Amino acid sequence: MEYIKKIAQSIEKHPDHNVLCIKGKLYTYHDFAIEVSKIRSAIASVTKETEKLIGLVTNDDIYTYASIIALWLEGKAYVPVNPEVPVERNHTVFKLTGTTIILDSSDQSIYDNYTIIATKDIPEVAIDLEPKNAISSDLAYILFTSGTTGLPKGVPITFANVQGLVDAIDAEPDFNLIASDRCLQMFELTFDFSVVTYLFPLLSGSCMYTIPKGAIKYFYIFKLINEEKLTVLTMVPSIINYLRPYFSEIHAPDVRYCSFGGGALHSDIAKEWSDCLPNCKIFNYYGPTEFTVYSGFYPYHKDTHQKAYNGIIAIGTPQKNTSYIVVNENNEEVAIEETGELCLAGPQITPGYWKNPEKNKQSFFNRTEDGVEVRYYKTGDLCIKDNDGDFLYVGRADFQVKIRGYRVELAEIEFHAKSKSEKKVNIVALDITNSLGNAELGLAIESDEFDTTLIFDHMKTMMPSYMIPMHVRFIKEFPHSINGKINRKELKKHFNNIVA
Amino acid sequence: MNKEEILSKVTKAFVTVLEHENFQLLEETTANDVDGWESITHMMIITEIEKTFDIKFKLMDLMNMDNIGDLLNTIESEL
Repeated sequence: MEYIKKIAQSIEKHPDHNVLCIKGKLYTYHDFAIEVSKIRSAIASVTKETEKLIGLVTNDDIYTYASIIALWLEGKAYVPVNPEVPVERNHTVFKLTGTTIILDSSDQSIYDNYTIIATKDIPEVAIDLEPKNAISSDLAYILFTSGTTGLPKGVPITFANVQGLVDAIDAEPDFNLIASDRCLQMFELTFDFSVVTYLFPLLSGSCMYTIPKGAIKYFYIFKLINEEKLTVLTMVPSIINYLRPYFSEIHAPDVRYCSFGGGALHSDIAKEWSDCLPNCKIFNYYGPTEFTVYSGFYPYHKDTHQKAYNGIIAIGTPQKNTSYIVVNENNEEVAIEETGELCLAGPQITPGYWKNPEKNKQSFFNRTEDGVEVRYYKTGDLCIKDNDGDFLYVGRADFQVKIRGYRVELAEIEFHAKSKSEKKVNIVALDITNSLGNAELGLAIESDEFDTTLIFDHMKTMMPSYMIPMHVRFIKEFPHSINGKINRKELKKHFNNIVA
Repeated sequence: MNKEEILSKVTKAFVTVLEHENFQLLEETTANDVDGWESITHMMIITEIEKTFDIKFKLMDLMNMDNIGDLLNTIESEL
């Protein structure tokens, strides 16, 4: 695989450069080469050729990053699990993928019934970064996102998919990382946005700065911008919502690029943020996990490029080899300036949800274009294509919401809340916007007040913390719309008095 | 205002935002020790404290605030 070869070359070419800065400690590409070589030797000795999916506990350390590259050099995929997520959920992920071997750098692994490769304690070996011939249709990683039935939904991404992403970004003349860049890596490795924040720095020999687990992210990011003079930022928009009250104190002339993704970027805050970064190009990226992180972007500029719809910055045009169409409910393309569901086709499209034929039938369709069958992914995002050929983001078509960049199915929260509720009552999860403009989760319960401790204790064992509602309201009778459905808009009004 | 009064008002702000009282704030308490105190609620707590004491924190102070002790010292210096 071309891109894996290039990562190996980049590691060899920049031995004295820093690759990672973790909790203030710097590691060089030479250090990285040693760890990658050790881990791949352990993988090769423990796993069978046919064993392709390997678990990875995503600690914030050099071993975890080295593990990803080691697996790729061996032609294998990583199945990441976040150590801060309830272990039940992580067991489910391993069970669904049939994973039996786990790379774990923790002091003491909690995964008893698996073969553990303790990546911290592998004896030294000679450096070997020569990639095995990876099969392009084999998986590079598989990520799990929130699913409506209470089970997380697996999105497998192949080596060819990642190659497609690298080709598209390489073709982009306005975005070129260089070896002296200092790049923010704020994402948990179970979140697909992290792929671009480690992959592109590694390909260019630049350094990644991670956020320690447990740190207050936006303040730590500011600290890194301020003290480490970061040059490349890749963030979810909610970060700048938090920093907004302090914009007058932020002046960061070293930042060259700032890429946003994973949520709607609002035009008013984009302008104010861009004033804090006087020498920076801002990209508003769009792309779902199912399409290997990025599918296209809009090049924002506070004076010349501020196209927006309802105050949300445009998502622009598809990148190289990707095509966008906007369709109606029959998967037929709608006219320019009309709203429909955005669908994506191209080399970055996932082969389909992991062992989920039913969901695949709903989310993918084929369309004949110039005599050729083209496979499209239905994003669930409502968009408009305008007369200039730019795509404008309108909103979601379903009950999926974004909480700090993470995709959350409200139905999954409701499923777990109801499963431990002794009282059989209506429970609805809602996304509410706090006064900082960030989405939070609320839980509306149709009942007189009762103790919800059991429900919450159960939810905390089943879902990551960002999926746990922060506000509860008891409402005697839910409001309904004319056609008898629960009126979520009206319900949200019960959360109007939340503090922010 | 003495430290105890400050601490009691800070505790009240935490309760308002977190909607529970299952914690005790000590000088060395960090976000890891209090249920629900994390990135998203931190900002709400900060805003609530700013309102309570009628002060405005500097970003430089906030970025180096690691525990309740740091928070109390910063409030004291702003009063």
